[in-house]
Amino acid sequence: MGKTAEKAGFLGFSIDVWMYLLLGLGAVLTTVDLVLAFLFAPLVLGAGAGGTAVINGVAVSNQLLLSQKIFFFHVPVAISSFLVILFAAYYSIRFLMTRDKGFDIKARVATEVTLMLVVLTLITGDLWTRYEWDAWWVWEPRLTTYFILTLLVAGYFVLRNSVEDEERRAVYAAVFCIIAAVDAPISFMITRLVPTKMHPVVLRSGGGLTGIQLLAFLLGMFGMLMIAWVVFKLRERQEFASERIEALKAARES
Amino acid sequence: METSGGLGISLEVCGLSRVFGARRALDGVSFTLPEGAFLSIFGPNGAGKTTLLRVLSTLAPPSSGTATVLGKDVLEDASKLREHIGLISHNPLLYPDLSAEENLQFFADIYCLDCPQERIRELLSAVELDHRCLDIVRTFSRGMLQRLSIARALLHSPEMLFLDEPYSGLDPHAVDILDALLARIRKRHTFVMVSHDLEKGLELCSHALILAKGKVVLFEERNRIDVGEFKGLYRQTVGMGVS
Amino acid sequence: MELRTKEMLTSMGLYALLVLLVYHLAFSQVDSYDVTPIGAGLLWLAIVFTSLLGLNRSLVHEKDQGCLEALLLSPIDRPVIFFGKAAGNLLFLLIVEVIIVPLFHFLFLQNIEMSGAVWMLALALFVGSLGIAGVGTLLATMSVNTKGKDFILAVLFVPVMFPLLYAMVAALSAVITGEVLFPGEWVGEYWRALGLGAGYDAIMLLIAFGLYEFIIGA
Repeated sequence: MGKTAEKAGFLGFSIDVWMYLLLGLGAVLTTVDLVLAFLFAPLVLGAGAGGTAVINGVAVSNQLLLSQKIFFFHVPVAISSFLVILFAAYYSIRFLMTRDKGFDIKARVATEVTLMLVVLTLITGDLWTRYEWDAWWVWEPRLTTYFILTLLVAGYFVLRNSVEDEERRAVYAAVFCIIAAVDAPISFMITRLVPTKMHPVVLRSGGGLTGIQLLAFLLGMFGMLMIAWVVFKLRERQEFASERIEALKAARES
Repeated sequence: METSGGLGISLEVCGLSRVFGARRALDGVSFTLPEGAFLSIFGPNGAGKTTLLRVLSTLAPPSSGTATVLGKDVLEDASKLREHIGLISHNPLLYPDLSAEENLQFFADIYCLDCPQERIRELLSAVELDHRCLDIVRTFSRGMLQRLSIARALLHSPEMLFLDEPYSGLDPHAVDILDALLARIRKRHTFVMVSHDLEKGLELCSHALILAKGKVVLFEERNRIDVGEFKGLYRQTVGMGVS
Repeated sequence: MELRTKEMLTSMGLYALLVLLVYHLAFSQVDSYDVTPIGAGLLWLAIVFTSLLGLNRSLVHEKDQGCLEALLLSPIDRPVIFFGKAAGNLLFLLIVEVIIVPLFHFLFLQNIEMSGAVWMLALALFVGSLGIAGVGTLLATMSVNTKGKDFILAVLFVPVMFPLLYAMVAALSAVITGEVLFPGEWVGEYWRALGLGAGYDAIMLLIAFGLYEFIIGA
């Protein structure tokens, strides 16, 4: 159960070395991303910020031009969270196919990482909406979707905690994880596509990032993914270790 | 299929395991049971008795190893096998809001029986419930529920019957009826019973199996078993399970 | 494939009535209130609460006496069990809707000229109920085997159903107030919302159908 993977290395380095390497690299990249974003990246013009816009009855001033810097951190986190839950769903499917507890552990750990990222996304996003829309919370498709995603991920852990039988818990969690991973994009689509005239739907097309912006964004993206991967790996290793202790205990008893 | 001969094999279990993570509910269980036998499975709590029964009755898949019931693999031929097995558990497996007759009617429909009415009447009188056949099941006593549940399990004339603690919670009268019923159908069926009740289990069985920690401690024909020794061994395994 | 008692319909119907009463409570401090703009949302809310109750009870019954196990032992295919359960729940939900929707109209929307025809309303209710029954059956089968049955069901059910409810509130809203709020375009928006809801139904039912076997086998 995972033993072969732990021994295996990549390009001559063991996984351990890679883990710390990537953790460091990820940290450096995200830092560089922030530095670039604040010091070098030009402000995104256009994209609704060219003049003042009326959002939620409030005229948005130029302060949003600076506040948008948070996107260089926020968007990588958001995208990573989504990628990680896809991994969780993948491990869940593998678990249902093989009934190997190792995949259950992987799926659970990946969902934990998702929870971390989703909460980070909500916090950073919220900071931004506070400035841009002058409100802590707006029921905008993206926010709504993340709110739902948070509830789904929280529901995953609530479900886990309320099932006593270990195998049943793993099966239920896997099924729910798959449902959650499918539900999240649907929820994003539907909140966007369903006609509502009540709320302003703020659509922002990518609108072409310039060289240095793109660089900062990509650095942040890769940095975040590296950090997410290392956190995943560390937690996974911890869980596998405790699993092995259990197995050894059981073996000693009989 | 070996069911034609008198000495065919009804149950063949080979290296059966059910593992999840570090927990081994069943660990390499192997035995064979001839047709028409009555197997009693004993063991302490958590020994894997119920898991074994669930695997044999196609409710849970094995992790490794094979189990062949009535010549059919529990994984490959599960749905065909289900037509030939019945389960009597301590849970009645009946709809409480339906009458006795409606319950049997419902299950008769599911099993696609040919002339259900006749069969239902026959079974209801066999379990001495014909006078209450229109009453709602919820109003039944524990013993009556259990009798009806036996009728339900026999509805489709299964060749193999699984019994999961069928005597638990029964009053003496209900025990007598169950005994009489089992004695009557004994010849035509193969039985596998899980029980805590050593006396009862030994009295009924033709084969006995002791399970502890998912492993077979003993599998023997009844007439080769010395009761005193057997009880000693059983106590020993129960003690082992507790520690 | 399944017979059930009147008891369940009565409790679901009564529960729906209570929800309507609570709605009135919420508006009780306003002289003459007009719930038209949020009518669709309120109606779906009543349906969601009632269906939570119904879904939970439909499976608790089975679980207590082990009927589900009896079904699993029988030679019927597992997918058929899913369809049977989901169809049963759908039927219950539709019957309850037949009672509460006219009642809701009578109590809260009496003076409103509905924009859409009754069949449009019925179609939207059906698309919504289909998803609720299908996904709800799967989630309820899980939640009956957990420690906090009804709580767990609500925690899992509401976020998963959110996209469908969102679309269905929009569709129903178009039927009820379309002419007033989006004159001219409401028919198109109704169909768009309905289409999205149906898409959700198709995807989620397929997934629920595929995963049900794992749930009942566990």
